[in-house]
Amino acid sequence: MSQEPKQKSSNTELEIDDDTDIVPRRRFLTLAGAGLLTIGFGSLAEGLVGGLTEPINQQVESLLFQTQKLVPEFSISAIEPDKLIVNSFRGTPAINPNAYRLTIDGEVNNPLSLSLDDLQKLPFTSIVIRHVCVEGWAAIVQWGGVRLQDLLAIAKPSPQSKYVYFYSADGYYESWDLDSVIHPQTLMAYQKNGQPLSPENGAPLRLASPVKLGYKLSKWVTRIQLTSKLDEKRGYWEDLGYEWYAGL
Amino acid sequence: MIMRSPVIPKQALPTKVFHWISLVSLFLMMTSGLQIYNANPVFGGRGGIHIPPVFGLGGWLAGGRHWHFAMMWIFVLNLLWYGIYVLLTRRWQHRYISGKDVKALLVSQNTKRKNYAWHRFVYTLLIPILLLSIFTGIGMYKPAQFYWIVDSFGGWDALRITHFMAVPSTLILGWIHSQLGRKVGGDRLLDSMFWRNN
Repeated sequence: MSQEPKQKSSNTELEIDDDTDIVPRRRFLTLAGAGLLTIGFGSLAEGLVGGLTEPINQQVESLLFQTQKLVPEFSISAIEPDKLIVNSFRGTPAINPNAYRLTIDGEVNNPLSLSLDDLQKLPFTSIVIRHVCVEGWAAIVQWGGVRLQDLLAIAKPSPQSKYVYFYSADGYYESWDLDSVIHPQTLMAYQKNGQPLSPENGAPLRLASPVKLGYKLSKWVTRIQLTSKLDEKRGYWEDLGYEWYAGL
Repeated sequence: MIMRSPVIPKQALPTKVFHWISLVSLFLMMTSGLQIYNANPVFGGRGGIHIPPVFGLGGWLAGGRHWHFAMMWIFVLNLLWYGIYVLLTRRWQHRYISGKDVKALLVSQNTKRKNYAWHRFVYTLLIPILLLSIFTGIGMYKPAQFYWIVDSFGGWDALRITHFMAVPSTLILGWIHSQLGRKVGGDRLLDSMFWRNN
């Protein structure tokens, strides 16, 4: 009520220990100011914070990950067809399925160039999994295709290869740790929810897996390259600042 | 009037450290969490309810994630060491809500005693709420490894909403906690927790 006189006698304010009106308001404003400053400077420092902690997080993530451990799957009736959002960084590329080839090269003993026919003759695997996007949404999807494990068994990676690059027809590129690539539920998929894959979902061939975030699951893949070490370029979103490992 | 001379409240140093780290790390977890939330709000998706960007730490989704997954360690380890400390020193027996407080809330006519019991109730309640946010957070960070956490909430959206609810519930309880603290111990109690050496 009587704020005026109190403010005038600010010399004695320090002695009023239990002043209930002015001090809290001032404290609140100080706190709010400190909060906004923290958000401002903290946002500028996000790259630094990520650079410092990402290696630690990645170690923990890859330690948790077990190459042979299956992620429990869902029943066909659990599929959520409307929840899968179509994301791409540059629209949908036009690909002629008849001329399409998948190249597997790099540090492999048996480089491959496969047509869609060749791929469909390889053992078919179907998974019903949760597809999780870095944005926060998720959808239960059925994917059908060839296990990366099976493809690499033919291509025969050399012992020193540790990473796998995926190059797409639209210029998108990604790199993965080999352990996640040879996980039994990591597929090169040509089928979604029981239907042939549609162009906007990545036809003729895309990555599908329950163990990585959506931005690792490249669409329109044309080349798979094995390597013993990562380039400066590690992936489209990663090079902009997103986390590389991105495991689930 | 000897009775008027107030007791100066004292806080153990570990308690003060815990309180400070909790306050700061929670602030950073909540603001970076809101940044992540805004990428695709669980309430309505891309066209849904967005938080004003000024409350989002990190500048963009990747930055919000960097902050969130950096601070999670400090937030979690802080709760962990303090939990061990509370167990070893038996503070849990006399520093958190007890049967006596419940009795005071139910039957006491003494307003001060009742306020004190409410105070202890509210700050005790904050602990399970923070632990729940860690539990739901692990489920969202590693839904393939900890699929059973997602399942225990009945699905992804329910898990996301529960994780998000940590923000309003902590803000509301934190505000009540600060008000009750003032009511029970005034600025002396506040100073003892934040600044004063003893």
